[in-house]
Amino acid sequence: MRRWLAVVLVSIMVIFALGQKVTIIANAIKGGKNSQVVDWFEKYIPEIEKELGITIELIQTGIRDEDFKARIVLDIKGGGGADILWIDGFWVPEFVEAGYLRPIDDILADIPAWKYYYEPMKAMGSYKGKTYLIPAGTDVRMIYYNKELFKKAGIPLPWQPKSWEDIIKTARIIKEKLPGVIPIQLNAGTEMGEATTMQGFFMVLLGAGGNLYDWETGKWIVKSSALKDTLNFYKQIYVDEKLGDAVLQVSPGAREKTFELFRQEKIAMYVEGTWFYTSVLNPNNPSWGFPDRDERIGWAAMPGRGKPGDPEFVSISGGTGFAVNVNCKNPKLVAEVLKRLLYVEPQLSYFQMKPFVSPRSDLADSCWTVNKDKFIAETSRALVKYTTFRPAFPVYPEISFQAQLLTERVVTGQMSVDKALEEFAKEVTRIVGKENVTEKP
Amino acid sequence: MKRSLMGRKVVVFLLIPALSLIFVFLILPGVWVLKIGMTNETLTGAKARNPDFVGFENYVKVLSDRFFYNALRITLLFVLGSAIIGQAGLGLLLALLTYRKRRLKSFVQSVVILAWIIPEVVVAYLWIAFLDKDYGTLNVILSAIGLSKINWFYEYPLLTIIIFNIWRGTAYSMLLFSAALETIPPSYLETAEVIGASTWRKFKDVVFPNIKSYILTDLILITLWTFNVFTPYLLTGGGPSFRTELLSIYIYRTAFRYFKLGYGASIATIALLINFALAMFYLSLSRRRKA
Repeated sequence: MRRWLAVVLVSIMVIFALGQKVTIIANAIKGGKNSQVVDWFEKYIPEIEKELGITIELIQTGIRDEDFKARIVLDIKGGGGADILWIDGFWVPEFVEAGYLRPIDDILADIPAWKYYYEPMKAMGSYKGKTYLIPAGTDVRMIYYNKELFKKAGIPLPWQPKSWEDIIKTARIIKEKLPGVIPIQLNAGTEMGEATTMQGFFMVLLGAGGNLYDWETGKWIVKSSALKDTLNFYKQIYVDEKLGDAVLQVSPGAREKTFELFRQEKIAMYVEGTWFYTSVLNPNNPSWGFPDRDERIGWAAMPGRGKPGDPEFVSISGGTGFAVNVNCKNPKLVAEVLKRLLYVEPQLSYFQMKPFVSPRSDLADSCWTVNKDKFIAETSRALVKYTTFRPAFPVYPEISFQAQLLTERVVTGQMSVDKALEEFAKEVTRIVGKENVTEKP
Repeated sequence: MKRSLMGRKVVVFLLIPALSLIFVFLILPGVWVLKIGMTNETLTGAKARNPDFVGFENYVKVLSDRFFYNALRITLLFVLGSAIIGQAGLGLLLALLTYRKRRLKSFVQSVVILAWIIPEVVVAYLWIAFLDKDYGTLNVILSAIGLSKINWFYEYPLLTIIIFNIWRGTAYSMLLFSAALETIPPSYLETAEVIGASTWRKFKDVVFPNIKSYILTDLILITLWTFNVFTPYLLTGGGPSFRTELLSIYIYRTAFRYFKLGYGASIATIALLINFALAMFYLSLSRRRKA
């Protein structure tokens, strides 16, 4: 009798151990968006599975970031979802407020690598005194340009504009010399989603010395000369001089279409982030990669407006990372998986496959790898000192949408700059309340 | 008065499965939406966890929301253009043209039904492939014969989704009208022919009075279907610049892209009321006709 019981117990335990599973979701899909991320997981998951005696399932998706966010939110609200979530850092505050993420300070205590993470990076992943996200990488933003097109148009290389006027002048030359080529795309409109706010709107607004949020008073800025100049810059590009294609900006699938046109060398300048170079244009990317990317595509720092007192150059950073679902049933196991993914070797391999600005000093100092990527080394050196972060408060996505709408109304000519700004101020005031908005000269 | 075949108890008993299905899948979600519509529930942020009851605040907000009026206007134009004029009109025309022409009828019906039975996602891809600005079949043809390419989704977005929906849904109206036409006794039309009535008079005095009730049924059904249709989202995503944002798409955007669940639910309730009003309008028409 006792023997039978033992057999039953052991088999239950075996079944239980075999059934242990950790799921990971990332907005990455083999052969498509962030393909390298899948390659990386496939390289390391089998080892970890073997070592821990569990199964790890990677849920692949290759969709728009906004749709990915909706999927995760609905998964978690419905009581399920993957254990490990590879999400954008600026979603953390609103997710935490909703109770979707598990604080991971206990997990991090067991992860030796955590002490190497830079403080600003740790700050990106924490909210109200607790940590929720392990940053996977951070980025900077700049203007990319196609050197071949520049040569054809007779623009001297290397190119580095010093003011908005320099950008406009270059765009005019391209428009004149190269018919059929769109001189510049500066993201605008709601279809582009957060790409408009980060790669377009903020890059211009910061250059005029402005911001959406006043960090000193903690209020949202609804009116300023910087905002007005930002919109006028958009208007000059898309409406007055038609140096950019506003139709492309607001068409369905705008982002993918823009990548496609850049690949076809029909766009000369495009403001984008690190990811664009290291992932979209990556020679290994079957959809949009340039085999001779390093020779063909150049980058320049985004200049400020050019008036006295304006910043010389600007950049803004974001980043993604690992968070843990609040519905996660086995945090101990998740901790073991994360710990192994964050070992130096897999991390170095990750940054080799998908070069990014490293969030960890031990990787950045590792002279034989991350810094070996010329692009990352140069852009980090040139831009990290100028960069800033977005005001990622729970209400931020709503303000961000209003900023996208603001640019959309101007570039499509639906509203004048003044009218669009008036609507923007009205809506933002309605969202955050009169006491939380301010005006700047 | 007729005596019923079964006792009252049996009738109630047999109705229970149907009624419970209606309750679980129709009434319960309806009440649920009504309830959420009176809160400020969101999908992220603090209000996802602790939504407040706000009464009719959402409804007041909807009534001053320019996106709501934009969506309502586009939906009405879409229903008028694609359902009432397009599907019902074209369906009737096709049914009349193929009336008593057996071969032509079976051919036309096969083609039209094909458009009706292909899954929606596939249809959406077909249309994108057909209309795309640079690679679309239509634009390739246009440029091959020397005409300039047209960016259909940008320049004529509403017209594009209207034509798409006509193409998609004419089959239903056509089948219904074809069947209705079969119910007209042939002698009526033969008599009309003998006395030399014009085509128009034949339609106006013989065909139309006989299929009037079918037309009404068709209009009720396709209006309500079209009002709630979501497929154009697959073509245009509601854009460019909200120019094809139907009410259903606006509700989706509010609730699942911008995560304002409570507000989205209140718009959905308003859409439900509009549907009710439309249904009532048609039903009163049919009642008046019977009286």
